[in-house]
Amino acid sequence: MHKYLQLLLRGLAVALVIVWSAGPVMFIVISSFKPQLQMFAYPPSLAFVPTFEHYVALWNEWDAFFPTLKNSLIVSVGATVLAVFVSFLAGYVYSRYAGRLLAISAIYMIAIRLLPPIVVTLPLFPAVDALGLSDTHALLILLYAAFWVSLCTMIIKTFIDEIPRELDEAAHVDGASQAQTIRKVILPLALQGMAASAIFVFVFAWNEYLFALIFTTQYAKTAPLVISEVMDAIYGTNWGVLFAGVTVQLAPVVALVMFAQRLLVAGLTAGSVKG
Amino acid sequence: MKKLSPSAFGLLAPVHVLLLGVITLPSLYVFWMSLNESSYGVAPVFVGLSNYKTVLLDSYFWRAAFNTFVVVNAVVYAEIVLGLALALLFASGLPCRKLMFAIVLMPYAVSEVVGVLAWKIIMNPNYGAIGRMLADWGMGLNWSASPTQGLVLVSVISVWHHLPFTFLLLYAGILAIPQSVYEAARIDGANAIQMFFRITLPLLIPALLITVIFRLVFAFRMFSEVWLLTKGGPARLTEVLAVYLYQGAFRNGEFGTAAATGWLMVLSSLAIASFYLYQMHRRIAVGNA
Repeated sequence: MHKYLQLLLRGLAVALVIVWSAGPVMFIVISSFKPQLQMFAYPPSLAFVPTFEHYVALWNEWDAFFPTLKNSLIVSVGATVLAVFVSFLAGYVYSRYAGRLLAISAIYMIAIRLLPPIVVTLPLFPAVDALGLSDTHALLILLYAAFWVSLCTMIIKTFIDEIPRELDEAAHVDGASQAQTIRKVILPLALQGMAASAIFVFVFAWNEYLFALIFTTQYAKTAPLVISEVMDAIYGTNWGVLFAGVTVQLAPVVALVMFAQRLLVAGLTAGSVKG
Repeated sequence: MKKLSPSAFGLLAPVHVLLLGVITLPSLYVFWMSLNESSYGVAPVFVGLSNYKTVLLDSYFWRAAFNTFVVVNAVVYAEIVLGLALALLFASGLPCRKLMFAIVLMPYAVSEVVGVLAWKIIMNPNYGAIGRMLADWGMGLNWSASPTQGLVLVSVISVWHHLPFTFLLLYAGILAIPQSVYEAARIDGANAIQMFFRITLPLLIPALLITVIFRLVFAFRMFSEVWLLTKGGPARLTEVLAVYLYQGAFRNGEFGTAAATGWLMVLSSLAIASFYLYQMHRRIAVGNA
Protein backbone atom coordinates (compact mmCIF):
# COMPACT_ATOMS: atom_id res chain seq x y z
CA MET A 1 0.00 0.00 0.00
CA HIS A 2 2.74 2.39 1.05
CA LYS A 3 4.61 1.63 -2.14
CA TYR A 4 1.62 2.41 -4.37
CA LEU A 5 1.05 5.70 -2.58
CA GLN A 6 4.65 6.67 -3.17
CA LEU A 7 4.40 5.76 -6.84
CA LEU A 8 1.21 7.78 -7.15
CA LEU A 9 2.77 10.84 -5.52
CA ARG A 10 5.81 10.64 -7.79
CA GLY A 11 3.58 10.33 -10.84
CA LEU A 12 1.66 13.38 -9.69
CA ALA A 13 4.86 15.34 -9.18
CA VAL A 14 6.10 14.42 -12.65
CA ALA A 15 2.78 15.47 -14.19
CA LEU A 16 2.92 18.79 -12.35
CA VAL A 17 6.46 19.43 -13.55
CA ILE A 18 5.45 18.76 -17.16
CA VAL A 19 2.37 21.01 -17.00
CA TRP A 20 4.29 23.82 -15.29
CA SER A 21 7.33 23.74 -17.60
CA ALA A 22 5.78 22.94 -20.95
CA GLY A 23 2.20 24.13 -20.41
CA PRO A 24 2.52 27.84 -21.22
CA VAL A 25 4.68 27.23 -24.30
CA MET A 26 2.58 24.32 -25.56
CA PHE A 27 -0.56 26.39 -25.06
CA ILE A 28 0.68 28.94 -27.60
CA VAL A 29 1.99 26.33 -30.02
CA ILE A 30 -1.22 24.25 -29.92
CA SER A 31 -3.44 27.31 -30.16
CA SER A 32 -1.65 28.36 -33.32
CA PHE A 33 -3.08 25.24 -35.00
CA LYS A 34 -6.60 25.68 -33.64
CA PRO A 35 -9.52 27.10 -35.61
CA GLN A 36 -10.37 30.60 -34.39
CA LEU A 37 -13.63 29.56 -32.67
CA GLN A 38 -12.03 26.86 -30.54
CA MET A 39 -8.97 28.84 -29.58
CA PHE A 40 -10.33 30.18 -26.30
CA ALA A 41 -12.99 27.54 -25.64
CA TYR A 42 -13.49 26.80 -21.95
CA PRO A 43 -12.62 24.29 -20.69
CA PRO A 44 -9.66 24.08 -23.09
CA SER A 45 -9.73 20.99 -25.27
CA LEU A 46 -7.30 19.03 -27.39
CA ALA A 47 -10.09 17.72 -29.61
CA PHE A 48 -9.81 19.86 -32.73
CA VAL A 49 -8.94 19.52 -36.38
CA PRO A 50 -5.54 21.15 -36.88
CA THR A 51 -5.47 24.03 -39.33
CA PHE A 52 -2.68 26.00 -40.98
CA GLU A 53 -4.89 29.03 -41.64
CA HIS A 54 -3.04 31.19 -39.11
CA TYR A 55 0.30 30.40 -40.71
CA VAL A 56 -1.10 31.31 -44.12
CA ALA A 57 -2.42 34.55 -42.62
CA LEU A 58 0.94 35.17 -40.96
CA TRP A 59 2.69 34.88 -44.29
CA ASN A 60 0.14 36.99 -46.18
CA GLU A 61 -0.88 39.63 -43.67
CA TRP A 62 1.78 40.31 -41.07
CA ASP A 63 4.36 42.03 -43.27
CA ALA A 64 6.39 43.35 -40.38
CA PHE A 65 7.12 39.96 -38.86
CA PHE A 66 9.56 38.22 -41.20
CA PRO A 67 11.98 41.13 -41.58
CA THR A 68 12.28 41.30 -37.78
CA LEU A 69 12.87 37.56 -37.67
CA LYS A 70 15.67 38.07 -40.19
CA ASN A 71 17.09 40.85 -37.99
CA SER A 72 17.00 38.51 -35.01
CA LEU A 73 18.89 35.91 -37.00
CA ILE A 74 21.56 38.36 -38.19
CA VAL A 75 22.04 39.80 -34.71
CA SER A 76 22.09 36.41 -32.97
CA VAL A 77 24.54 34.81 -35.39
CA GLY A 78 26.71 37.94 -35.38
CA ALA A 79 26.83 38.19 -31.59
CA THR A 80 27.48 34.47 -31.20
CA VAL A 81 30.35 34.40 -33.69
CA LEU A 82 31.94 37.54 -32.25
CA ALA A 83 31.59 36.52 -28.61
CA VAL A 84 32.79 32.95 -29.11
CA PHE A 85 35.73 33.94 -31.30
CA VAL A 86 37.16 36.62 -29.00
CA SER A 87 36.42 34.48 -25.93
CA PHE A 88 38.35 31.61 -27.48
CA LEU A 89 41.43 33.81 -27.86
CA ALA A 90 41.13 35.11 -24.30
CA GLY A 91 40.23 31.68 -22.91
CA TYR A 92 43.49 30.33 -24.35
CA VAL A 93 45.48 32.98 -22.49
CA TYR A 94 43.59 32.45 -19.22
CA SER A 95 44.29 28.73 -19.51
CA ARG A 96 47.94 28.78 -20.56
CA TYR A 97 49.36 31.84 -18.84
CA ALA A 98 49.56 32.75 -15.16
CA GLY A 99 50.16 35.84 -13.12
CA ARG A 100 48.63 38.25 -10.65
CA LEU A 101 47.31 40.51 -13.38
CA LEU A 102 45.43 37.64 -15.00
CA ALA A 103 43.93 36.50 -11.70
CA ILE A 104 42.73 40.01 -10.91
CA SER A 105 41.32 40.54 -14.38
CA ALA A 106 39.41 37.26 -14.10
CA ILE A 107 37.65 38.57 -10.99
CA TYR A 108 37.01 41.86 -12.74
CA MET A 109 35.43 40.05 -15.70
CA ILE A 110 33.03 38.23 -13.41
CA ALA A 111 32.22 41.35 -11.38
CA ILE A 112 31.47 43.40 -14.49
CA ARG A 113 28.98 40.80 -15.64
CA LEU A 114 26.96 41.27 -12.46
CA LEU A 115 26.07 44.90 -13.22
CA PRO A 116 22.49 45.60 -14.32
CA PRO A 117 22.54 46.00 -18.12
CA ILE A 118 20.00 48.84 -18.09
CA VAL A 119 22.59 51.09 -16.44
CA VAL A 120 24.88 51.17 -19.49
CA THR A 121 22.04 52.24 -21.75
CA LEU A 122 22.19 55.75 -20.26
CA PRO A 123 25.70 56.73 -21.42
CA LEU A 124 25.45 54.61 -24.56
CA PHE A 125 22.23 56.25 -25.75
CA PRO A 126 23.74 59.64 -26.71
CA ALA A 127 27.08 58.05 -27.68
CA VAL A 128 25.48 55.61 -30.07
CA ASP A 129 23.53 58.41 -31.67
CA ALA A 130 26.68 60.46 -32.19
CA LEU A 131 28.44 57.47 -33.77
CA GLY A 132 25.51 56.80 -36.10
CA LEU A 133 25.08 53.33 -34.63
CA SER A 134 21.52 53.60 -33.34
CA ASP A 135 19.07 51.17 -34.90
CA THR A 136 21.81 49.05 -36.50
CA HIS A 137 22.60 45.35 -36.36
CA ALA A 138 26.21 46.14 -35.47
CA LEU A 139 25.20 47.87 -32.24
CA LEU A 140 23.09 44.97 -30.98
CA ILE A 141 25.84 42.53 -31.95
CA LEU A 142 28.41 44.49 -29.91
CA LEU A 143 26.07 44.84 -26.92
CA TYR A 144 25.03 41.20 -26.81
CA ALA A 145 28.57 39.94 -27.33
CA ALA A 146 29.97 42.21 -24.60
CA PHE A 147 27.55 40.89 -22.01
CA TRP A 148 28.55 37.29 -22.73
CA VAL A 149 32.32 37.34 -23.29
CA SER A 150 33.00 36.96 -19.56
CA LEU A 151 31.07 33.74 -19.20
CA CYS A 152 32.21 32.41 -22.61
CA THR A 153 35.85 33.07 -21.76
CA MET A 154 35.52 31.17 -18.48
CA ILE A 155 33.70 28.26 -20.13
CA ILE A 156 36.23 27.96 -22.95
CA LYS A 157 39.13 28.34 -20.51
CA THR A 158 37.80 25.38 -18.49
CA PHE A 159 37.62 23.28 -21.64
CA ILE A 160 41.12 24.30 -22.79
CA ASP A 161 42.42 23.41 -19.30
CA GLU A 162 41.53 19.80 -20.16
CA ILE A 163 43.84 19.78 -23.19
CA PRO A 164 47.22 18.40 -22.07
CA ARG A 165 49.99 20.99 -22.17
CA GLU A 166 52.29 18.36 -23.69
CA LEU A 167 50.43 18.88 -26.99
CA ASP A 168 51.36 22.59 -27.02
CA GLU A 169 54.97 21.73 -26.23
CA ALA A 170 55.13 19.01 -28.89
CA ALA A 171 53.84 21.48 -31.49
CA HIS A 172 56.41 24.01 -30.32
CA VAL A 173 59.23 21.46 -30.62
CA ASP A 174 58.05 20.65 -34.14
CA GLY A 175 58.54 24.32 -34.99
CA ALA A 176 54.93 25.51 -34.93
CA SER A 177 54.40 29.18 -34.17
CA GLN A 178 51.99 30.21 -31.39
CA ALA A 179 49.34 31.14 -33.97
CA GLN A 180 49.71 27.72 -35.61
CA THR A 181 49.49 25.94 -32.27
CA ILE A 182 46.31 27.81 -31.41
CA ARG A 183 44.73 27.11 -34.79
CA LYS A 184 45.83 23.52 -35.34
CA VAL A 185 46.08 22.10 -31.82
CA ILE A 186 43.90 24.07 -29.42
CA LEU A 187 41.01 25.11 -31.64
CA PRO A 188 39.91 21.62 -32.76
CA LEU A 189 39.99 20.37 -29.16
CA ALA A 190 38.15 23.38 -27.76
CA LEU A 191 35.20 23.09 -30.11
CA GLN A 192 32.93 21.54 -27.51
CA GLY A 193 33.46 24.43 -25.12
CA MET A 194 32.91 26.88 -27.94
CA ALA A 195 29.67 25.15 -28.89
CA ALA A 196 28.46 25.27 -25.29
CA SER A 197 29.24 28.99 -25.11
CA ALA A 198 27.60 29.58 -28.46
CA ILE A 199 24.30 28.19 -27.22
CA PHE A 200 24.17 30.63 -24.31
CA VAL A 201 24.88 33.66 -26.48
CA PHE A 202 22.53 32.59 -29.24
CA VAL A 203 19.59 31.90 -26.94
CA PHE A 204 20.13 35.22 -25.16
CA ALA A 205 20.46 37.28 -28.35
CA TRP A 206 17.52 35.57 -30.02
CA ASN A 207 15.21 36.37 -27.11
CA GLU A 208 16.58 39.67 -25.80
CA TYR A 209 14.09 42.47 -25.21
CA LEU A 210 15.55 45.40 -23.22
CA PHE A 211 18.37 46.56 -25.51
CA ALA A 212 16.23 45.98 -28.59
CA LEU A 213 13.51 48.15 -27.04
CA ILE A 214 15.88 51.00 -26.28
CA PHE A 215 18.21 50.94 -29.27
CA THR A 216 16.12 49.86 -32.25
CA THR A 217 13.20 51.64 -33.85
CA GLN A 218 12.84 50.33 -37.37
CA TYR A 219 15.69 48.82 -39.40
CA ALA A 220 17.21 46.55 -36.78
CA LYS A 221 14.03 45.78 -34.82
CA THR A 222 14.06 42.18 -33.59
CA ALA A 223 11.26 39.61 -33.43
CA PRO A 224 10.61 39.74 -29.64
CA LEU A 225 10.13 43.50 -29.91
CA VAL A 226 7.57 43.33 -32.70
CA ILE A 227 5.77 40.50 -30.89
CA SER A 228 5.52 42.65 -27.76
CA GLU A 229 4.12 45.57 -29.76
CA VAL A 230 1.45 43.45 -31.41
CA MET A 231 0.60 41.78 -28.12
CA ASP A 232 -0.30 45.16 -26.58
CA ALA A 233 -2.41 46.32 -29.51
CA ILE A 234 -4.21 43.13 -30.42
CA TYR A 235 -7.93 42.68 -30.94
CA GLY A 236 -10.36 39.97 -32.09
CA THR A 237 -9.25 37.55 -34.72
CA ASN A 238 -5.57 38.40 -34.82
CA TRP A 239 -4.64 36.08 -31.96
CA GLY A 240 -4.15 33.15 -34.30
CA VAL A 241 -1.66 35.09 -36.41
CA LEU A 242 0.23 36.22 -33.30
CA PHE A 243 0.40 32.65 -31.97
CA ALA A 244 1.66 31.42 -35.34
CA GLY A 245 4.36 34.11 -35.33
CA VAL A 246 5.39 33.31 -31.77
CA THR A 247 5.57 29.60 -32.60
CA VAL A 248 7.87 30.32 -35.54
CA GLN A 249 10.02 32.50 -33.26
CA LEU A 250 10.34 30.05 -30.37
CA ALA A 251 10.40 26.64 -32.06
CA PRO A 252 14.00 26.59 -33.36
CA VAL A 253 15.54 27.77 -30.09
CA VAL A 254 13.40 25.53 -27.89
CA ALA A 255 14.46 22.59 -30.09
CA LEU A 256 18.11 23.68 -29.88
CA VAL A 257 18.05 23.84 -26.09
CA MET A 258 16.24 20.53 -25.74
CA PHE A 259 18.66 18.70 -28.01
CA ALA A 260 21.79 20.35 -26.70
CA GLN A 261 21.04 19.80 -23.01
CA ARG A 262 24.32 18.00 -22.39
CA LEU A 263 26.38 20.87 -23.81
CA LEU A 264 24.33 23.35 -21.83
CA VAL A 265 24.93 21.56 -18.56
CA ALA A 266 28.64 21.19 -19.33
CA GLY A 267 28.87 24.89 -20.11
CA LEU A 268 26.98 25.94 -17.02
CA THR A 269 29.08 23.87 -14.66
CA ALA A 270 32.27 25.03 -16.36
CA GLY A 271 31.26 28.68 -16.38
CA SER A 272 29.48 29.50 -13.17
CA VAL A 273 30.29 26.91 -10.57
CA LYS A 274 33.97 26.44 -11.17
CA GLY A 275 34.35 30.11 -12.12
CA MET B 1 52.30 28.21 -16.94
CA LYS B 2 53.83 31.06 -18.87
CA LYS B 3 54.33 34.70 -17.90
CA LEU B 4 52.23 37.20 -19.82
CA SER B 5 53.89 38.16 -23.10
CA PRO B 6 53.02 40.84 -25.69
CA SER B 7 51.34 38.23 -27.88
CA ALA B 8 49.17 37.15 -24.92
CA PHE B 9 48.08 40.75 -24.45
CA GLY B 10 47.12 40.82 -28.11
CA LEU B 11 44.92 37.76 -27.65
CA LEU B 12 43.28 39.26 -24.58
CA ALA B 13 42.69 42.63 -26.20
CA PRO B 14 39.43 41.99 -28.12
CA VAL B 15 37.56 40.71 -25.05
CA HIS B 16 38.80 43.50 -22.85
CA VAL B 17 38.19 46.24 -25.40
CA LEU B 18 34.61 45.00 -25.73
CA LEU B 19 34.12 44.88 -21.96
CA LEU B 20 35.70 48.30 -21.41
CA GLY B 21 33.84 50.01 -24.22
CA VAL B 22 30.40 48.54 -23.63
CA ILE B 23 30.24 47.87 -19.90
CA THR B 24 33.07 49.19 -17.71
CA LEU B 25 33.55 52.74 -19.00
CA PRO B 26 29.81 53.37 -19.49
CA SER B 27 29.09 52.06 -15.96
CA LEU B 28 31.67 54.42 -14.51
CA TYR B 29 30.58 57.29 -16.71
CA VAL B 30 27.08 56.89 -15.27
CA PHE B 31 28.46 58.32 -12.05
CA TRP B 32 29.56 61.48 -13.85
CA MET B 33 26.17 61.66 -15.62
CA SER B 34 24.47 61.45 -12.23
CA LEU B 35 26.19 64.69 -11.21
CA ASN B 36 24.76 66.48 -14.25
CA GLU B 37 21.33 67.37 -15.47
CA SER B 38 20.61 66.54 -19.10
CA SER B 39 17.84 65.72 -21.52
CA TYR B 40 18.56 62.32 -23.11
CA GLY B 41 22.22 62.77 -22.20
CA VAL B 42 22.64 65.88 -24.36
CA ALA B 43 23.92 69.30 -23.16
CA PRO B 44 24.72 68.32 -19.57
CA VAL B 45 24.80 70.94 -16.81
CA PHE B 46 26.73 70.17 -13.63
CA VAL B 47 24.43 70.08 -10.61
CA GLY B 48 26.45 68.22 -7.96
CA LEU B 49 24.50 65.80 -5.82
CA SER B 50 21.10 67.32 -6.40
CA ASN B 51 19.97 64.41 -8.62
CA TYR B 52 20.52 62.05 -5.70
CA LYS B 53 18.47 64.34 -3.51
CA THR B 54 15.66 64.34 -6.07
CA VAL B 55 15.71 60.55 -6.36
CA LEU B 56 15.96 59.86 -2.64
CA LEU B 57 13.07 62.24 -1.91
CA ASP B 58 10.88 60.68 -4.61
CA SER B 59 8.26 58.39 -3.11
CA TYR B 60 8.02 56.46 -6.41
CA PHE B 61 11.69 55.56 -6.07
CA TRP B 62 11.08 54.11 -2.62
CA ARG B 63 8.01 52.27 -3.84
CA ALA B 64 10.11 50.79 -6.67
CA ALA B 65 12.90 49.88 -4.25
CA PHE B 66 10.42 48.23 -1.92
CA ASN B 67 8.78 46.30 -4.78
CA THR B 68 12.19 45.17 -6.01
CA PHE B 69 13.17 43.98 -2.55
CA VAL B 70 9.94 42.00 -2.03
CA VAL B 71 9.75 40.52 -5.54
CA VAL B 72 13.44 39.60 -5.72
CA ASN B 73 13.33 37.79 -2.36
CA ALA B 74 10.05 36.04 -3.10
CA VAL B 75 11.28 34.92 -6.53
CA VAL B 76 14.71 33.73 -5.43
CA TYR B 77 13.58 31.77 -2.38
CA ALA B 78 10.63 30.25 -4.22
CA GLU B 79 13.06 29.17 -6.94
CA ILE B 80 15.44 27.65 -4.41
CA VAL B 81 12.69 25.58 -2.78
CA LEU B 82 11.17 24.46 -6.08
CA GLY B 83 14.56 23.94 -7.71
CA LEU B 84 15.73 21.82 -4.79
CA ALA B 85 12.55 19.71 -4.89
CA LEU B 86 12.97 19.26 -8.63
CA ALA B 87 16.64 18.34 -8.27
CA LEU B 88 15.78 15.74 -5.61
CA LEU B 89 13.08 14.31 -7.86
CA PHE B 90 15.61 13.95 -10.68
CA ALA B 91 18.32 12.58 -8.39
CA SER B 92 15.98 9.87 -7.11
CA GLY B 93 15.63 8.49 -10.64
CA LEU B 94 12.94 9.29 -13.19
CA PRO B 95 11.52 7.47 -16.19
CA CYS B 96 12.49 9.13 -19.53
CA ARG B 97 15.05 11.23 -17.68
CA LYS B 98 16.43 12.89 -20.81
CA LEU B 99 13.02 13.90 -22.10
CA MET B 100 12.00 15.21 -18.67
CA PHE B 101 15.22 17.19 -18.51
CA ALA B 102 14.50 18.74 -21.89
CA ILE B 103 10.96 19.65 -20.79
CA VAL B 104 12.21 21.29 -17.61
CA LEU B 105 14.65 23.41 -19.67
CA MET B 106 11.89 24.72 -21.96
CA PRO B 107 11.16 28.04 -20.19
CA TYR B 108 14.86 28.93 -20.42
CA ALA B 109 14.62 28.80 -24.21
CA VAL B 110 11.76 31.25 -24.70
CA SER B 111 11.83 35.04 -24.70
CA GLU B 112 10.48 36.98 -21.73
CA VAL B 113 8.06 38.47 -24.23
CA VAL B 114 6.68 35.03 -25.03
CA GLY B 115 6.55 34.01 -21.36
CA VAL B 116 4.57 37.10 -20.42
CA LEU B 117 2.24 36.65 -23.39
CA ALA B 118 1.50 33.03 -22.48
CA TRP B 119 0.90 33.73 -18.79
CA LYS B 120 -1.18 36.81 -19.56
CA ILE B 121 -3.59 34.71 -21.59
CA ILE B 122 -3.65 31.70 -19.27
CA MET B 123 -4.46 33.98 -16.33
CA ASN B 124 -7.04 36.10 -18.16
CA PRO B 125 -10.29 35.95 -16.13
CA ASN B 126 -12.49 35.86 -19.25
CA TYR B 127 -10.87 33.23 -21.43
CA GLY B 128 -7.70 31.92 -19.78
CA ALA B 129 -7.55 28.31 -18.62
CA ILE B 130 -6.47 29.16 -15.07
CA GLY B 131 -7.85 32.70 -14.90
CA ARG B 132 -11.36 31.54 -15.76
CA MET B 133 -11.17 28.75 -13.22
CA LEU B 134 -10.08 31.22 -10.53
CA ALA B 135 -12.89 33.56 -11.59
CA ASP B 136 -15.42 30.72 -11.24
CA TRP B 137 -14.18 30.25 -7.69
CA GLY B 138 -14.73 33.92 -7.01
CA MET B 139 -11.10 35.01 -7.40
CA GLY B 140 -11.26 36.90 -10.68
CA LEU B 141 -7.82 38.41 -11.37
CA ASN B 142 -7.51 42.02 -12.43
CA TRP B 143 -3.84 42.95 -12.35
CA SER B 144 -4.36 46.24 -14.19
CA ALA B 145 -6.22 47.46 -11.09
CA SER B 146 -4.48 45.60 -8.28
CA PRO B 147 -0.75 46.21 -7.77
CA THR B 148 -0.49 43.19 -5.46
CA GLN B 149 -1.91 40.86 -8.10
CA GLY B 150 0.37 42.43 -10.71
CA LEU B 151 3.46 41.82 -8.60
CA VAL B 152 2.40 38.28 -7.70
CA LEU B 153 1.92 37.44 -11.36
CA VAL B 154 5.26 39.06 -12.21
CA SER B 155 6.88 36.86 -9.56
CA VAL B 156 5.21 33.71 -10.89
CA ILE B 157 6.37 34.45 -14.44
CA SER B 158 9.87 35.22 -13.22
CA VAL B 159 10.09 31.98 -11.22
CA TRP B 160 8.81 30.09 -14.26
CA HIS B 161 11.50 31.62 -16.46
CA HIS B 162 14.48 31.11 -14.19
CA LEU B 163 13.66 27.84 -12.48
CA PRO B 164 15.61 25.83 -15.11
CA PHE B 165 18.78 27.75 -14.25
CA THR B 166 18.32 27.37 -10.49
CA PHE B 167 17.48 23.71 -10.93
CA LEU B 168 20.58 23.03 -13.05
CA LEU B 169 22.93 24.61 -10.51
CA LEU B 170 21.39 22.71 -7.58
CA TYR B 171 21.17 19.44 -9.51
CA ALA B 172 24.87 19.68 -10.37
CA GLY B 173 25.50 20.23 -6.65
CA ILE B 174 23.53 17.15 -5.65
CA LEU B 175 25.23 14.96 -8.25
CA ALA B 176 28.60 16.03 -6.85
CA ILE B 177 27.81 14.44 -3.47
CA PRO B 178 29.56 11.04 -3.40
CA GLN B 179 27.19 8.05 -3.34
CA SER B 180 29.38 6.28 -0.78
CA VAL B 181 28.20 8.71 1.91
CA TYR B 182 24.60 7.65 1.32
CA GLU B 183 25.56 3.97 1.31
CA ALA B 184 27.29 4.33 4.63
CA ALA B 185 24.25 6.10 6.06
CA ARG B 186 21.94 3.38 4.74
CA ILE B 187 24.02 0.71 6.41
CA ASP B 188 23.75 2.66 9.64
CA GLY B 189 19.97 2.52 9.24
CA ALA B 190 19.25 6.14 8.28
CA ASN B 191 15.92 6.84 6.57
CA ALA B 192 15.31 9.15 3.62
CA ILE B 193 14.38 12.18 5.73
CA GLN B 194 17.44 11.80 7.96
CA MET B 195 19.66 11.43 4.90
CA PHE B 196 18.24 14.63 3.41
CA PHE B 197 18.75 16.74 6.53
CA ARG B 198 22.02 15.16 7.69
CA ILE B 199 23.77 14.60 4.34
CA THR B 200 22.24 16.28 1.29
CA LEU B 201 21.42 19.64 2.84
CA PRO B 202 24.71 20.26 4.72
CA LEU B 203 26.84 19.16 1.75
CA LEU B 204 24.77 21.29 -0.59
CA ILE B 205 25.31 24.54 1.35
CA PRO B 206 28.09 25.88 -0.95
CA ALA B 207 26.03 25.22 -4.09
CA LEU B 208 22.97 26.76 -2.43
CA LEU B 209 24.91 29.91 -1.50
CA ILE B 210 26.25 30.39 -5.01
CA THR B 211 22.82 29.84 -6.49
CA VAL B 212 21.14 32.29 -4.10
CA ILE B 213 23.67 35.04 -4.79
CA PHE B 214 23.64 34.49 -8.52
CA ARG B 215 19.89 34.63 -8.62
CA LEU B 216 19.68 37.65 -6.28
CA VAL B 217 22.03 39.59 -8.54
CA PHE B 218 20.22 38.60 -11.71
CA ALA B 219 16.71 39.02 -10.32
CA PHE B 220 17.67 42.51 -9.13
CA ARG B 221 17.86 43.73 -12.74
CA MET B 222 14.31 42.53 -13.50
CA PHE B 223 12.72 44.68 -16.17
CA SER B 224 10.93 42.88 -18.98
CA GLU B 225 8.39 40.92 -16.97
CA VAL B 226 7.14 44.05 -15.23
CA TRP B 227 7.29 46.32 -18.25
CA LEU B 228 5.49 43.87 -20.49
CA LEU B 229 2.82 42.91 -17.96
CA THR B 230 1.89 46.14 -16.19
CA LYS B 231 4.09 48.95 -17.59
CA GLY B 232 4.61 49.70 -13.89
CA GLY B 233 0.93 50.56 -13.37
CA PRO B 234 -1.59 51.11 -11.97
CA ALA B 235 -0.39 54.55 -10.89
CA ARG B 236 3.30 53.46 -10.92
CA LEU B 237 2.62 51.10 -8.02
CA THR B 238 4.20 47.97 -9.58
CA GLU B 239 7.43 49.61 -10.75
CA VAL B 240 10.72 47.91 -9.90
CA LEU B 241 14.02 49.84 -9.96
CA ALA B 242 14.87 49.07 -13.59
CA VAL B 243 11.39 50.15 -14.68
CA TYR B 244 11.66 53.31 -12.57
CA LEU B 245 14.97 54.08 -14.29
CA TYR B 246 13.54 53.37 -17.75
CA GLN B 247 10.50 55.59 -17.14
CA GLY B 248 12.64 58.47 -15.97
CA ALA B 249 15.21 58.16 -18.73
CA PHE B 250 13.40 57.07 -21.85
CA ARG B 251 9.87 58.37 -21.21
CA ASN B 252 10.68 61.65 -19.49
CA GLY B 253 14.18 62.21 -20.86
CA GLU B 254 15.57 62.97 -17.40
CA PHE B 255 18.98 61.33 -17.73
CA GLY B 256 20.49 62.98 -14.65
CA THR B 257 18.14 61.46 -12.09
CA ALA B 258 18.03 58.19 -14.06
CA ALA B 259 21.83 58.05 -13.86
CA ALA B 260 21.64 58.60 -10.10
CA THR B 261 19.20 55.68 -9.90
CA GLY B 262 21.53 53.66 -12.12
CA TRP B 263 24.57 54.34 -9.97
CA LEU B 264 22.60 53.34 -6.87
CA MET B 265 21.72 50.10 -8.67
CA VAL B 266 25.36 49.45 -9.55
CA LEU B 267 26.40 49.88 -5.91
CA SER B 268 23.57 47.67 -4.67
CA SER B 269 24.37 44.82 -7.06
CA LEU B 270 28.04 44.96 -6.15
CA ALA B 271 27.07 44.87 -2.47
CA ILE B 272 24.87 41.81 -3.03
CA ALA B 273 27.58 40.17 -5.10
CA SER B 274 30.53 41.08 -2.88
CA PHE B 275 30.30 37.91 -0.85
CA TYR B 276 30.33 35.80 -4.01
CA LEU B 277 33.22 37.77 -5.48
CA TYR B 278 35.16 37.38 -2.25
CA GLN B 279 34.70 33.61 -2.43
CA MET B 280 35.81 33.57 -6.07
CA HIS B 281 38.85 35.64 -5.25
CA ARG B 282 39.82 33.27 -2.46
CA ARG B 283 39.42 30.24 -4.68
CA ILE B 284 41.42 31.72 -7.55
CA ALA B 285 44.11 32.95 -5.15
CA VAL B 286 44.38 29.44 -3.67
CA GLY B 287 44.49 27.88 -7.14
CA ASN B 288 47.39 30.12 -8.11
CA ALA B 289 49.45 29.61 -4.97
